Amino acid sequence: MSRRTDRRWWPSTPAGRRTLADVGVAALPTLLAVALGVIPLGVLFVESVSPPVTLANYAALGESVYPTIMLRSLSIGAVVTVVCLAVAYPVTYWLAHRCPVRYRLPLLISFTLPLWLNYVVLNYTWVWLLAEDGLVNAFLTGTGIVGQPLDLLRDAGVGVGPLELPGLSLGLGFVHIYLPYVLLTMYVSMERLDYRQVEAARDLGAGPIRVFRDVVLPGTYGGAVAGALIVYARIAGAFATPQILAAPSEQMIAQVIATQFYDVLDYPFAAALSVAFLVIVVVGLGMGAMSSDVRAALARW
Amino acid sequence: MNDLPSSTVDASDESSGRLHRRLTAAVDGGFFRITVALTAVFLYVPVIVVAYLSLSPRSQPSIPLDGVTLRWYGAVFTDARFVRGLATSTAIGVVTAVAGTGLGLLAARTIVRSRLPRWVRLGVALVVALPLFVPTVVVALGIGMAAGRLGLGFGLAPVLAGHLYWVLPFSTFLVTSRYASLDDGLDEAARDLGADGLTVFRTVTLPLLRPALVASVLFAFTLSFNEFLITFFLAGSGVTTMPLEIYGKVRIGATSFLNAASVLVLLISGAVASVAASLEPPT
Repeated sequence: MSRRTDRRWWPSTPAGRRTLADVGVAALPTLLAVALGVIPLGVLFVESVSPPVTLANYAALGESVYPTIMLRSLSIGAVVTVVCLAVAYPVTYWLAHRCPVRYRLPLLISFTLPLWLNYVVLNYTWVWLLAEDGLVNAFLTGTGIVGQPLDLLRDAGVGVGPLELPGLSLGLGFVHIYLPYVLLTMYVSMERLDYRQVEAARDLGAGPIRVFRDVVLPGTYGGAVAGALIVYARIAGAFATPQILAAPSEQMIAQVIATQFYDVLDYPFAAALSVAFLVIVVVGLGMGAMSSDVRAALARW
Repeated sequence: MNDLPSSTVDASDESSGRLHRRLTAAVDGGFFRITVALTAVFLYVPVIVVAYLSLSPRSQPSIPLDGVTLRWYGAVFTDARFVRGLATSTAIGVVTAVAGTGLGLLAARTIVRSRLPRWVRLGVALVVALPLFVPTVVVALGIGMAAGRLGLGFGLAPVLAGHLYWVLPFSTFLVTSRYASLDDGLDEAARDLGADGLTVFRTVTLPLLRPALVASVLFAFTLSFNEFLITFFLAGSGVTTMPLEIYGKVRIGATSFLNAASVLVLLISGAVASVAASLEPPT
């Protein structure tokens, strides 16, 4: 030890040695995260402005089908996120405040179990519900409600103004895999909501809508924002779900990126698509997360 | 689940004599219970339908089934590609779970207990958390392109690295939340009694972190075992994992074979999840 203290890079004090140990502890995970997170993002950016330095790849984003596909991905992300929240509110409210205690944990576990399951498989299960010879059509034609099987699987989406709603099968597939995330974050908030506030509002004569708007909504805002932050970008950037459940003519951004990377081998354009998508999503989410009341709600959450 | 006893209406509502409150409670009690029941049906009916159809004697099942057999499960276990995918996914999952939890422990210690400056600890937390905020397709493309451009190519090593990177934020934050709740005084006490840093960590900190480490191993295994998109971009043609196999078959068409394979995959992750649920009840 005394020999080592002669070398200048080896700290001679116990505090110095502990700092060196701390650096050693931090090094491995940080290196991995930089090598696979930060550097690839840099590579993507450099690739997107090549060759050698050009903005042509970004200019091409404004052409042809790409603006439509970008807008479709963003609006499907928004619509599905809102649907997940709309379902999660009553479910977690009941679980946290109305459910008999002995059922609470088993129900919470069964509602969050799909988080552990394979989403490719979960998406695939809808094929058997919605296909022409699937369960829903077997029921509808069997009972005579419809004469011909309905075209439910990979049905086309619906445009509403600038928004584009996902088709039925894509929407169901998305809600199926992302609802459990929102249920989990919302439950955390709901559990902390003081039920006496709800009772007090009721005693003062507030109806269910009023109670929801003035007591439940402000009290659980943080959980809703956290849930939306977690699922929005994943839905907008989903690849497998639209491949399995969307109409082939209605591609989403990740499908185009994969095609450019795998089939067209246009790396610079694939990179430009990703960087543009990343910037739009992160700037959008970032601006939301920066606003002071959202930050306060998240901090409470 | 749909027929919970009627006593579930909250006791405080029952005790009230006011008629309209009772009515409100009954109406919204019904609304809530129906929503909860429908959500459970929505989450589980698709899975149950596929499990049911996997028993069909024909390769294209029809509703209702015209017989019951387990032959497709046998077929899955004799399908070379699928067995290879399952073995590869399990192996990658185990390595990722153990190594990812180890790295998560190092990152958590840095974030919670390190004496490094605050900005360094925040920076570590931020780069580790990056894949949670960057859309997965961008992460996958970035790693794939970097591996291609740096000449690392595709295959098992990039897939393993990608999985480690993907599970790192989850293992880090599972361990961090437990680490932060530990009493700092225990460390000090052990030190005062003459234990060196490593001994303190091994005999005091590690046992206290055990529940979080076990949870992290199980969750990281599941994340890796089910991971699709990063693998899709990094596997190249030589490596096949179970989710890639299933995805490839889904694109060709729905069959009884695929139904049986799907059920097996759900059973494996469901089993890991139930071990986790029985070990550490969520707080």
